[in-house]
Amino acid sequence: MNTTPRLLNRFVLAVVGLIALALGAGGLALLTLPAAAGWWRSAAPRAGQAVEDLRSRTTLEGQEDTWLWIALALVLVFLIVMLIVWIAAQGRGRTGLFATGTVTGRGGGGATGRGDSSGGGTAGSVTITAAAAEQALKAALLERPDLVGASVSTWRIRGVPGIRVRVLPRKGVPPYDIAVEVSRLVEALDAVTGSRTPVLISVSSGARARFTRADRVT
Amino acid sequence: MKADPLDRATSASTARLVRRELYSSRALPSVVTAAVLIAGCLVLLFEAVLKAVGDRPFLLDVEAVAAWLGTLPGGVPASLLGAGSVLLVVLGALLLLLALLPGRRARYTIPNERAAVVVDAEVVASSLARRARVAAGVAPEQVLVTVGRGSVTVQIRPTSGTPVDADAVRAAVADDLRRSSIKPEPRIAVVVAESGVIGQ
Repeated sequence: MNTTPRLLNRFVLAVVGLIALALGAGGLALLTLPAAAGWWRSAAPRAGQAVEDLRSRTTLEGQEDTWLWIALALVLVFLIVMLIVWIAAQGRGRTGLFATGTVTGRGGGGATGRGDSSGGGTAGSVTITAAAAEQALKAALLERPDLVGASVSTWRIRGVPGIRVRVLPRKGVPPYDIAVEVSRLVEALDAVTGSRTPVLISVSSGARARFTRADRVT
Repeated sequence: MKADPLDRATSASTARLVRRELYSSRALPSVVTAAVLIAGCLVLLFEAVLKAVGDRPFLLDVEAVAAWLGTLPGGVPASLLGAGSVLLVVLGALLLLLALLPGRRARYTIPNERAAVVVDAEVVASSLARRARVAAGVAPEQVLVTVGRGSVTVQIRPTSGTPVDADAVRAAVADDLRRSSIKPEPRIAVVVAESGVIGQ
């Protein structure tokens, strides 16, 4: 449900992997192939000379070393910032807002104005926070004896808020029953809030479900 | 449900939700890789700044390292160079596989009209185990269910002296799978052990 950049993750992992693979393969080639070692022995001094030329060309008058060091430092700072941004982008997307809507003076309109059938109400806006929807669902879920635990969170999916319901059933409880019952609860929430949000029901097994006693009544 | 501006749960968005739950996001390898790269970049940055202000190198003399690279494969024991290279190759292959393999999680999806539903394979297995146990009339400890991507294996150790009806167990497991309507439908294998155990 989060906005983890999956394609970017895989792309960067592939690039870093290819670089590591190439370096390792190069080291092995130097070690095992005499031809590669000979080529490297002649190519390395030439590369070194090229770097030395570049360095003397980019050294400003009165300076003892090239300004390329500063440029390198700036590039590295940029790279580090980009990497930090990449880390920060993982697992984002929680939101504190479940629904917002405006109530026009006459009748409904907006995400939450449908219940206002009496009409002639005061114009304004209605906001339902995520905590309201989450706690309503969670309270209903925790009443059930066949669940060990439940958690509800709200995430932004393509610009609209969506709910993630994670339930931990007791051992041996059929998952299809859980799915039906939870989706019924979600439909009740739909009726209360007047909007149909995307919902993900995740029936998972955790350590708590694994170690609690199974319901022996069948 | 009719089309409604308040209806924000389309089938396309539901399918996307399910897809994202069924495959790994590679968040953990990404964070680890980024952290290692940041550490390397910080060392290099520090040395570059020292060079720029004309100070002596602190941890790593960049020029000396460059010169040392030029003398490879000499200047370092062959075993060390070999081990380092193999380590890099393994690491690179690992990252490349992480990037290219689908990374399917042990989860299944159950069709539902209102919501996207994903179920851990472990939950499916424990539900199947309960049905198999009731059908076979044995204790929970005597049933072991393994759920793979395309197959379900039920292993039963019968109680000594009480035969287990493998077909009844298979029918019960098939019924449970049908009610979950897991896609793709797995093959069912029921294995009843030769030797029984003392009843419980």
